[in-house]
Amino acid sequence: MNLALRRLLRKGDPSNEEIDAFIAESEFPLVDENDVTFVFRGEAEAVYLRCWISGLDAAQPFQKLGETGLWAATIELPRGSRIEYKFDVVRNGHGELILDPLNPVIARDPFGANSVCQAYGYERPEWTEIDPEARTGTVEATEIESAIFKGTREASVYLPARFRRNRQYPLLIVHDGLDYLNFADLKVVLDNLIHALEIPQMIVAMIQSPDRLKEYGADDRHASFVAEELLPHLLDRYPLVDEPDARCVMGASFGGVASLHTAWRHPGVFGRLLLQSGSFAFSDIGRHQRGPVFDPVAEFMNEFRETPGCPAERIYMSCGIYESLIYENRSLVLKLQAQGIDVRFEEARDAHNWENWRDRLRSGLSWLFPGPQWMVYE
Amino acid sequence: MLNLAEALDASGLPDGPLAVISAGWQEAEADIDDVREVTGRTLEDLRPYQRANDVFKADERLADAYRVRQDRLKEQQQLYRQRLKQLALAALQTLNADGDAEIVAAEQRHAIAQLRALDRHHLHRTESIHAEFDASFNSSSHSLLADQAREMNEIIDRSAGVLITGGNIVVLLNRMRLFDLEASLADTHVAAWSAGAMVLAERIVLFHDRMPLGRRNPEILGGGLGLAPGYVFLADVERRLRQRDRLHVGLMSRRFSPDVCVALDSGSQLLLEGERVDRAEATRRLSHDGRLTKLGAAA
Repeated sequence: MNLALRRLLRKGDPSNEEIDAFIAESEFPLVDENDVTFVFRGEAEAVYLRCWISGLDAAQPFQKLGETGLWAATIELPRGSRIEYKFDVVRNGHGELILDPLNPVIARDPFGANSVCQAYGYERPEWTEIDPEARTGTVEATEIESAIFKGTREASVYLPARFRRNRQYPLLIVHDGLDYLNFADLKVVLDNLIHALEIPQMIVAMIQSPDRLKEYGADDRHASFVAEELLPHLLDRYPLVDEPDARCVMGASFGGVASLHTAWRHPGVFGRLLLQSGSFAFSDIGRHQRGPVFDPVAEFMNEFRETPGCPAERIYMSCGIYESLIYENRSLVLKLQAQGIDVRFEEARDAHNWENWRDRLRSGLSWLFPGPQWMVYE
Repeated sequence: MLNLAEALDASGLPDGPLAVISAGWQEAEADIDDVREVTGRTLEDLRPYQRANDVFKADERLADAYRVRQDRLKEQQQLYRQRLKQLALAALQTLNADGDAEIVAAEQRHAIAQLRALDRHHLHRTESIHAEFDASFNSSSHSLLADQAREMNEIIDRSAGVLITGGNIVVLLNRMRLFDLEASLADTHVAAWSAGAMVLAERIVLFHDRMPLGRRNPEILGGGLGLAPGYVFLADVERRLRQRDRLHVGLMSRRFSPDVCVALDSGSQLLLEGERVDRAEATRRLSHDGRLTKLGAAA
């Protein structure tokens, strides 16, 4: 348990005023070099920490601290870690998932928000925050008539600051693009990395699926949509370098599967892939151990592992070590490298969430598309 | 550019209009209002970036040959970089070695000599590629290029001096070479900063220790204009160079000697008359012992 909390309790139950003062002067959760103590104040029958870390129990029980109304749970958390969590507070026999009332740091995702624990040594990268000196790009909408999906699909297209029609730009296609914009600060990151010349000016097409678990789960229709409808549409409307090595598809989780599957189904079209925490479920024998939504994914991955071919010449992969998918991702790296593909793989002390994916964008994008920084001296 | 006006005053540059080369800014080449404001002089924009684009558009044969040359230079640079990786690592490890002083010193000297030999080889190869390109066409058969070059050189001849800005050093150098501006620049006053200063040396050294994926080995891009022999200019050192890494700084200094590696930081000024330093304000040099020391006048 955290030293300051132990001091508070060392002479028996502290008064409410002492607890108020302790809370006012502390930052929660209480972070030490190798562990973190979470604190809840309030009436409850039980309190649990839910932090979705592969390897730890799903629910970590809090200890009631005398009659103070305080509850605490300490977990080991190595330096540089970042995790998202909620408190499961049980009252009248019913559990309720809530944000940590004492912690103002939260991360949003498509399902709501989580509290964020930044362990000792973790710092949010500067390049993920708005730089007033960085010129900002613009985002415009474009509609793609899709014969494959029998309807209109919309994409949001990022154009860099100083965009000019008479130049040619590399292209990045982003699965769950609006989520990357909203929850991983993609536009801020692009503006900053381009401003710092760490990546070249590029055009980024962000797509969003109305049924992502199906369409991103190794669906041939989606692969054809991206390669045969979206790409020609973008080539027609925007000044793009028409070469595979100037094209990248990226995505996280099922978006990672969709990216790999699209490139595999259409070899030679996309020269670059950026795959974050890809849901690359497979089975060596028998049935995979994940839910039925993974059936087509595992079928694809098993086939892919048999005949990987060369989906792209350069692939950046990242995965959190606190997610169960780390094993599938590590396994895929070896498979890809055996094909002679130039693979860079980064593991993070983080889990399956958007800020993990945000924090890896700089190394991924700058490795796949090195900017002119090396040659520019201002 | 912050101290440009002061530097121009101190240099004794004659009155009159100045020609500007800002090709390193590429599409923003024409945005020279800030330079005009700082200098308070009439400026004549040479526009080599835009002129080159116009020439390439009109002269497809030249554009193709230029592209082939650039591809060859890129390939050469990549191979050099691969070889450099091994030698630079070996040199750093040797510089860090403990043991019998005489044995270690001999190995250190040899490791650095190998690096220098590779640099020399690369410089020779890049110059050969440029020479092949230059020899491959007769300038009279590319009249637009010749006209543009003549016009630019005439502007330089009637200007009191030439300003060369920073920016993308590859683009800047290539455009200047394309229009054959070296000879005219050799006969006039030149004020240059950042990439503009780096191209004045005989060798151009690219460096950056704070890339997103870590340090890259300093590498020779190729030959510069050779207007400031005896120096290698390193711009933006405060941001790009890990100055406390004495092993790294010392290796750079020894590797590129006998040229003096000059750190050009914001606020520094260097007035050169040939190889002679007439004035050096807040300018430092890299030393063999890995420190950055003041560059004295008359160095």
